[in-house]
Amino acid sequence: MANAVTTEGLTKDFRAGFWRARPHRALDRLTIEIPVGGVFGLLGPNGAGKSTTLKILVNLLWPTAGRADVLGCPPGDVSARRRLGFLPEHPTFYDHLTAEELLMYFAGLFGHAPADRRKRASRLLDLVGIGADRRRLIRSYSKGMVQRVGVAQALVNDPELVILDEPMSGLDPVGRRDVRELILSLRDEGRTILFSSHILSDAELLCSRVGILAKGRLVASGSLSDLTAARSESSGEGWEVVATGLDAPAADRLTARARRATCIAPGRYSFALPPEARPEPLVAEIAEAGGAVVSVQPLRTSLEDVFMERISQ
Amino acid sequence: MSAGRRPTAFGVLAVAGGLAVAAATLYARDTRYPPPPVTERMLYMTSGSVASRIMLSFDSLAADVYWIRTIQHYGRDRKSGRRTGRFELLQPLLDLTTSLDPHFTTAYHFGAIFLAMAPPDGPGRADQAIALLEKGLRASPDRWLYAHGIGFVHYWHTGDFLAAAEWFERAARMPRAPSWIGPLAATTRAQGGNRAGARQILQDLLESREAYIRQAAERLRLQLQALDAIDELQRAVDEHEADTGRYPSAWIELVRAGALPGIPLDPTGVPFAYDPATHLVSLGRGSPLSPLPQGLTGR
Amino acid sequence: MTAGRIGLVAWHVFKESVRDRVLYAIGAFALLLVTASVVFSQLTAGQDLKIMKDFGLATIELAGALMSVFIGVGLVAREIDRRSIFALLAKPLPRWEFVVGKYLGLVLTITVNVWAMAAALYLALGYQWWVAPLGLRASWPAPALDLRLLIVLLMITLELALLTAVALFFSTFSSSGLISVVLTVGIFIAGLLSADLRGFNDIVDAPVLGSLVVAVGWIVPAFSSFDVKAQVVHGLPLGAGFLLHTIGYAVAYSVSAVGAAVLVFRSREFK
Repeated sequence: MANAVTTEGLTKDFRAGFWRARPHRALDRLTIEIPVGGVFGLLGPNGAGKSTTLKILVNLLWPTAGRADVLGCPPGDVSARRRLGFLPEHPTFYDHLTAEELLMYFAGLFGHAPADRRKRASRLLDLVGIGADRRRLIRSYSKGMVQRVGVAQALVNDPELVILDEPMSGLDPVGRRDVRELILSLRDEGRTILFSSHILSDAELLCSRVGILAKGRLVASGSLSDLTAARSESSGEGWEVVATGLDAPAADRLTARARRATCIAPGRYSFALPPEARPEPLVAEIAEAGGAVVSVQPLRTSLEDVFMERISQ
Repeated sequence: MSAGRRPTAFGVLAVAGGLAVAAATLYARDTRYPPPPVTERMLYMTSGSVASRIMLSFDSLAADVYWIRTIQHYGRDRKSGRRTGRFELLQPLLDLTTSLDPHFTTAYHFGAIFLAMAPPDGPGRADQAIALLEKGLRASPDRWLYAHGIGFVHYWHTGDFLAAAEWFERAARMPRAPSWIGPLAATTRAQGGNRAGARQILQDLLESREAYIRQAAERLRLQLQALDAIDELQRAVDEHEADTGRYPSAWIELVRAGALPGIPLDPTGVPFAYDPATHLVSLGRGSPLSPLPQGLTGR
Repeated sequence: MTAGRIGLVAWHVFKESVRDRVLYAIGAFALLLVTASVVFSQLTAGQDLKIMKDFGLATIELAGALMSVFIGVGLVAREIDRRSIFALLAKPLPRWEFVVGKYLGLVLTITVNVWAMAAALYLALGYQWWVAPLGLRASWPAPALDLRLLIVLLMITLELALLTAVALFFSTFSSSGLISVVLTVGIFIAGLLSADLRGFNDIVDAPVLGSLVVAVGWIVPAFSSFDVKAQVVHGLPLGAGFLLHTIGYAVAYSVSAVGAAVLVFRSREFK
């Protein structure tokens, strides 16, 4: 099985209100392939259809048209859900249970023996960092703790495919780092991770491949490097040189060399060079003009650039 | 099994089938193994005064509830074929209703008419009817309707026309009594019961707002019609004897002789009976108008 | 295993209800009424035992009905509303197992509560028996600690199992708890009057309306058919045929209602 998830022309319409005749198209002919292993990021602004896609994959919603394949089975097939784990968006769990009881409940649903369930629960709760609070009622947990419980319950069956809907939401920076590291370690164990997010920096740090959704349509997909490289080719990379100690006439002269010059502070300028130009000559000229170089950095197309470009199309 | 998008036709049919099986089981139970009837059916407070203590401030509401049960009980027993214990709860229910609300005029009125009705249309307890109306008079001594009601019961059911006349006189003296009660009292005292007086009483009942009272009055009116018809038929029989020297042996002779257009039927369509041995005309057996009130002479 | 999963869901329903404060409120209310019945029985001389049995059984039935409606409706509707159901449904738990498990857990909860209240009633009756002089005891139509009261309790349990099934059905398709409660209570009242509805033609002479009302009387779950309180309290016999048919009716209708709930739930999407 080459792909963990495949969709073909996946479409989802929702009835928008009782009176409106025209339905709201949340997902429009989504065709995507998510290979086994690695981390796939499903990105897009709010309302783009990310949650809808994930819910279709776990059989909470049914497509209006098209088909999907999860680990080789249709999403309605129980055997698919046996091998995956799912964390819903803004999760709530039975708050009359403790975290340990919840995980043992879910472990039981997968058919694990009673003795095994407690071991599993403990291990997972330690893994997500709330092992100390496992016997407290979920009702008393903070938002971050609930999110961690959510991640733990998604792993209760050692899944091959882990689907996370906005896993970072509600987490403080420490929490986000913990989840990031967890995702990477899951990847290293050979699992496939599929997560949705609108926080691009996380995606940049984690994903090997991404898909960008806007208004229900897939506007970009592929490996991160391919996407940014493609954009670089069209809009170019380059260099950024920051220097201080330059007076206005000197700056004007240097600007001719650069594509763009920005005055950051009195005497402090940032020069953007086109990709073909090397920064060394400019550096020399700055020195000649009596200025001091603060930094020389390559300009790389960021995911954000790709994102902004694609969603506005 | 995965979740589909729409309930399957099979599923809906299965559920409907299950409901049908359930209904069939219930029907079988109620016909083959009915639960034994409780003789104190639904009443465990037979004493009206206890009831009003328990009901505290919801007396009139409770009275309404018991009134509804009275009507239901009457209606159900009237339509059912029970032979024993028919209308046995009518008096206790009316007693409860009027204890909880002593001014519940309709309940007294209803009791007056239906408690005294002879079986199968009522329990045939004129004494209970009178007792109920006397209870009403204790609560409201000026109600002409209750005094008139007692007179009515005597007039139609006990045949005690002297008592009827006394009560009509009392009613006539009460405020707001209608003008026809006085003369009715006088003629009753003078002549006993007659159909003209009966018709007068009925007139009032036929105009009642309550449907079942109108129905009952209608039935009484048909009884009067039957009485008139019997008199006429008796006259025809006697004339036939006078003309031919023989009493007829059956209706058909009178029809052939041209005295009658056809076999005579009472207002409900049941043929009148003629006994060739006694030469007397009477109401046909099985007529719903039976038994006819006694003692109402004249037209 | 199917049975294992259903059992897990059911057990967790029971656990949730035990930790739910609504239950204790209703239980306290019931306890209060059973105590009050001791007071009421003093008002009707000579009928105190009967009053106590009637009142106690009626209280148990009413409290049980309240539990069935509120817990039954709350359970599924609340889960859907709070979305705690999403994580659960993404597990390999077929939807029909979820519904059946919820139902069985609810029935277990209601049964335990009804029989707990019954134990309290028996205690109160036992006290009455203990303080009653021998002459009075002889006049009772049925003994104080009448084992046949258990038949009434069985009937109440069946009635509530049916009511729970109805509550569960309404809560699977309506995500508003309030609407589900209103509908369930409405059906309950209609069911209590179903005998009157079925006999409508006996009282009123209106062919079209009458047939409609009678039809409704047959479709609606006949909660009034479980009422054998009067018979048992008066010491009248109830045959095996009667009991078996009643049990059959309750089972057939409950299964149908749960089946309908499964059908509805299987076609629900969760946005």
